[in-house]
Amino acid sequence: MQLDVPAGAAAAVPFSCPAPPGLRLGLHPKNAAMKARLLSAEHALCFERARYATEVYRATEGQHPSLRAAKALARVLEKMTIRIEPEELLVGNRASRPIAPPIAPERGDFTFVFRYLLEDLEAFGYRLTEEDRRLLFDELIPAWDGKTVRDAKLAALEAHGLSSTLNASPVELLRKLRAFGVAPLARLVAPRGETTHLLARLPRLLAAVKAGAKDNLKGRGRCTDTQAHLVPGHKNVLAKGFSGLRDDARARLAKGVTPEQRGFIEAVVLTCEAMRDFSRRFAVLARAEAERADAERRTELLDIAARCERVPWLPPRTFAEAVQALWFTQNAIIISYGAGSGITPGRVDQLLHPFYAADVVRGALTRDDALRLLEELVIKLNDNVVIWPNIGGVELNHLGSDVENITLGGVGRDGEDATNELSWLFLEAVENTKLATTASFRVSPKSPPEWVRRVVALHRTTNAPAFLNDETAVAALVNDGYALEDARDYCLVGCVEPSGNGDTFGATGGTKVYFPTALDLVFHRGRTTFFGNQDGPDTGDPRAFRDFEALLDAFFTQLEAMVQTATEATRLRDAIWAERFHNPLLSSTIDGCIERGRDMTQGGARYNFGAVGGGGLGTVVDSLATVRQLVFEERSVTMDELLRALSLNFRGHEALRQKLLAGPRFGVDDAKVDALARRIVDRFCDLVRAQPTTTGGHFKASLISYGLNVYEGALEPATPDGRRAGEPLSNSMSPSNGAEKKGPTAALSSMARIDQAKIGYGNSLNVRLPLGLLDSSAGVDAVAALVKGYFARGGFHVQFNAVDAATLRAAQGRPQDFPDLIVRVSGYSAHFTRLGRRIQDDLIARAELSPC
Amino acid sequence: MLTGRVFDIQRCSVHDGPGLRTTVFLVGCPLRCAWCHNPEAFSGDTARALTPDDVMAEVRKDRAFYDASGGGLTVSGGEPLLQPAFVRALLALAKAEGFHTCVQTSGAVSDAALRDVWPLVDLFQLDLKHQDSARHAALTGQGNGDVLATARRLVEWGARVEFRLPVVPGFTDDAENLDATAHFVASLGVRALTLVPYQRTYLGKYAALGLRARCADVTPPGREALQHVAARLQQAGLAASIAG
Repeated sequence: MQLDVPAGAAAAVPFSCPAPPGLRLGLHPKNAAMKARLLSAEHALCFERARYATEVYRATEGQHPSLRAAKALARVLEKMTIRIEPEELLVGNRASRPIAPPIAPERGDFTFVFRYLLEDLEAFGYRLTEEDRRLLFDELIPAWDGKTVRDAKLAALEAHGLSSTLNASPVELLRKLRAFGVAPLARLVAPRGETTHLLARLPRLLAAVKAGAKDNLKGRGRCTDTQAHLVPGHKNVLAKGFSGLRDDARARLAKGVTPEQRGFIEAVVLTCEAMRDFSRRFAVLARAEAERADAERRTELLDIAARCERVPWLPPRTFAEAVQALWFTQNAIIISYGAGSGITPGRVDQLLHPFYAADVVRGALTRDDALRLLEELVIKLNDNVVIWPNIGGVELNHLGSDVENITLGGVGRDGEDATNELSWLFLEAVENTKLATTASFRVSPKSPPEWVRRVVALHRTTNAPAFLNDETAVAALVNDGYALEDARDYCLVGCVEPSGNGDTFGATGGTKVYFPTALDLVFHRGRTTFFGNQDGPDTGDPRAFRDFEALLDAFFTQLEAMVQTATEATRLRDAIWAERFHNPLLSSTIDGCIERGRDMTQGGARYNFGAVGGGGLGTVVDSLATVRQLVFEERSVTMDELLRALSLNFRGHEALRQKLLAGPRFGVDDAKVDALARRIVDRFCDLVRAQPTTTGGHFKASLISYGLNVYEGALEPATPDGRRAGEPLSNSMSPSNGAEKKGPTAALSSMARIDQAKIGYGNSLNVRLPLGLLDSSAGVDAVAALVKGYFARGGFHVQFNAVDAATLRAAQGRPQDFPDLIVRVSGYSAHFTRLGRRIQDDLIARAELSPC
Repeated sequence: MLTGRVFDIQRCSVHDGPGLRTTVFLVGCPLRCAWCHNPEAFSGDTARALTPDDVMAEVRKDRAFYDASGGGLTVSGGEPLLQPAFVRALLALAKAEGFHTCVQTSGAVSDAALRDVWPLVDLFQLDLKHQDSARHAALTGQGNGDVLATARRLVEWGARVEFRLPVVPGFTDDAENLDATAHFVASLGVRALTLVPYQRTYLGKYAALGLRARCADVTPPGREALQHVAARLQQAGLAASIAG
C-alpha cells in the first residue's frame, strides 16, 4: 500500500463535510463527535502495557514462555486504565490515552526509537513527562537491556556473519552521507522536511545511522524485529467465545500432553479467562457510569454492560454482541503484541453477516443502527499510530498507520459470490467516516455488477481503496499449498498480502531486499557503495561481461545470496520468538494451535509461511534495460564510463545522465522491457519459495513497499536509469515515478505481463488518476473498466490516487519531479507542468474544492 | 504502401465515445475553429506516416479494457476524412477484429469520403457549431452548408450519429443559435444533443506552438450557464446532456 510518508501525513486525513441539519446524511452525529476527537487527538505515549508486562517478565524468569506471556497479558488487562467515551457503543480502549500505541518492550524496536529517535518523536508532537522519562530510561530500558528480540537478533546476526555494519568514523560517515546528496540526507534527518536544523541534528543522526546499521543485513537486506502480520481467528471467537476456546484447551490437556505442550495449553486457559475478566471490567465501569448518565445514555450504557458481561467470553447472539466481541478480541490482541504488528480483522462482512441477518429476521435491528456500529468500528480501526524505527528516522506516524485492514466482498468458501448486505454497509461506513481506512475490496467475475463501480466512486470522498482480484489471489494461495476452500476465504493482511482466515501464521511482512542493491553488488564485485563491505560473492569485473546475459547472471547470483541471507536472518529471529516470546492469546484463536499444543511461533497454526519483500523493481528493470540497450546493443556507452558516472553520482556526467533517463522503461507497454521484468520477478519468487521457515512452511515473495521507497532509496547509490544517489526507489511493483508516459492502460498492460499468481504475498500497483476524471459518471465507468480489464489479464491488485491540490502545488513548484502528472478537465487532458501558470492555479483551486 | 499521417495516438481516452478508447489523431483540417483544441493538426510537423497495421498494433493493446467498458477505437483529428482511404482501411481492420469504432468529424467533408467510410463506423460524433452560415464562417473559416449536408446524409443512410454543440460563451450560446440548432436536429428526427463545454486547458499547446488562440480570453461556462442552455434545448424537445 502506498502511504503518504512522511511529509504532511497528518494533513492528509480528510475532513468531513457538515451534513445538513436534521437529516442523517453521512456519519452518525455521535460518530462524528468521536471522529472529531480522534482527529484532534495529540500524539501520545502510554507505558502501561510496557510497565505491567515488564513487572511480570521480571518475576517469571525461567518459566515456560507461553505462561510468561499469558501472565504478562493478564496483568496488563487487569491493571491498565480503561475508559468509556461519551459516544461509544463499542468499548475497549488500547492505551491510557487516545491513539497512544501499546508498547511491547520485549520486542526491542521501541527501545531503539526511544534511545535514538526521541527528537523525531518530539518533532511529531509527542511529549514525555518527567515521570515518563524516569520510567523509560531508569526502569524499562535497563530492565530489557540485552534481553529483547532485537538484542538477541543483532547478536545472532553478528554471530552468524549476516550483518554488514558500518565501520566508519564520524567524518567518513558524513562524507558518505554527503555523497548521497543533501536533499535525501535532509529527508532522513527531518521528519517533516525542515532542513534548517540539519547541523544541530547531525550528531544524533550519525549515532542513529550507526546504531541502525547494526540491523543492516549483508546486501542491504532488512529483517524487522516482529513477525505477526496475520489474521486472528475471529471466526473461532465468534463461534465459540473464549469460554469455548478454553474448553478446547482443557479437552486437549485431557488427551495427554508433553510438559512443553502443557505450558502452552495452560497459558491458553489463562489468557481466555483474562479476556473474560477484561470485558467484565468494562461492564462494571459501564454500570457505574450509567448511574450518572441521562436517560438515553443510561440505556446505552446498560446495554454496553450487558454485552460486556457476555462477550467475548460467551459466543455472541446478536449483531451488536458480535461487533463488540470482534472489537474486544482485535483490541486485546494488539495490546498483547504491541503496535505495528500488522494484525488485521479480516473478512468482517463475512464474519458478522450471520448475526446481522438473524437480527434483521427477528426485527431487532434497523439498517441505521447497524450502520452506526460499523462506522464506530471503522473509526476505531483508525485509532492507531505506528512508530517504526528506520535508519535515522521514524516512519508511518499517522492515524490508521497500523493498517487494520478490512476485507470486503469476493467469493465464499463455496466459490460463489459472497458479497452481502454488510459488504455494502461497510462500504458506506468507510465512505461516511472519510478516514484513511485501509479497506480491501475483493473482486471476482461473479461480483455484483455495481460493486467495482461503487467502490471507484468511493475515491470521491475518501482515500484510495484497494481492489483485489480473487482469481489471481486464489490461484496464488492454492499454488502455495492452501486447500481450495481455505484459499477462497483469504483476507488481506497489512497492505495487500493475501493470507488465510484465522488458520495461518503468516508473518507476511518485515523481511526485505532491494533489487537495485543486487546491481550495486554486481558493479562492485560484491560490495555495496554505501557500506563498502564484502557482502556478496565476487561476480567478476563488470567491464569484462561479454554480453547482457553475463550481467544478468551476475545479478541473479547476487540476488540469490541476498535472499539466502535475508531468510537465514529471519529464521534466526523466528527462533528467538519461538524460544522466548509467545502469544497464547493470538494462538488460541488460530486453527491448529490448541490441537497441536503449540504456540503459533512454534508452528502451531495449520498453515505457516514467511515473507521476503522485493523493493525497487521498476528502478532495477529500467536500469538493466537501459544498460542492455546502451552498453550491449547500441554500444554507445561503455561499462567503464557508466560505472565512473555512477560512482560520481553523475557529477560532470550530465549528458550521460540525460541519455540514461531517455532509456527504455517499465510501464509503457514495451514487450521487451516487460519480459525482463517478468524474468526478474519469476526468479525472485522461485528463490524465495525455495527457503523454509522455522515453523515448517516456506517463504513467499511480495512486491510492496509500504510507501517506504523514499527511505529505501536513501542509501542506494546512483542507478543506470539516471536516478541519483539517495533518491526514492520505484514503489512496490509500480513503474518508476515519471515513467508512466503512456497512460494507465499501458502501465497496467506492462504489469499484467508479470505472472502475478507466482507472487504469493502480493504486489501493489498505484495508478494516479487524472484530476476531474471521477467527476463524471463516464469517468467512474472508465476507472471501473481499468480494474476489470486489468483483472481479466491476471492483475492482482490496483488502487488509484485521485490527484489532490497538494500534489498539484508541489508539481507547480518542482515541475521536473512531475513529468507524468496528467490533469483532466472534462474532455481534455494535459500534462500539468506544461500548462500556463494561470490554468494551473485554476486547477489547484478546483482540486481544493473537490474533496466533498 | 497505404499510410496515414498521424500526429498522436492516445490510449485510455475516456471522452471520445463510449468506454475506454484509443484515439488516433490525423493531420489536416478544412476548418480553423476559433477554439480548436488540436492546433498541431494544422501543419504536419509532428506527424508520422503510419500504416493501418501500425495503428492497429497500438489499438489491439487495450482490448481487455475495451471489453470491460464497451470501448474501442476512435478516429479523430483534425478532420480524419481528409484521409478517407487510410481511415477506411483502418476501420475495416478494426471491424474485422470486432472493435467498436467511432469517428469524430467536422462534417466539412466530401460526399465520396463519407460514403466510403460510414458502413464501418459504429458511431459518428459531429459538431454543429453554428446554424447561421455567416457566423459559422466567421468562427470556423467556412459556411455550414457542408456540415449540415453531412448531418442529413448520415441520418438518411441510417448511421448512428451523436450531434454535439460546443458551448463557447459569446460564440455559440446565443438564444437564436440554440433554437435554430434544436430545430435543425429535430428536423432530422433526432431527439438528443450533447453539450460540450468550452475548456481552457488546450491553451498551453498554442503557447508551445507560438500561436495565438482566438478564444484565449473566453471564460468556460459554469454549471448554471450549461444548465440554462440545456433547459432551452429541452424546451424545444431535445434531450440535452453535458459531456465530460
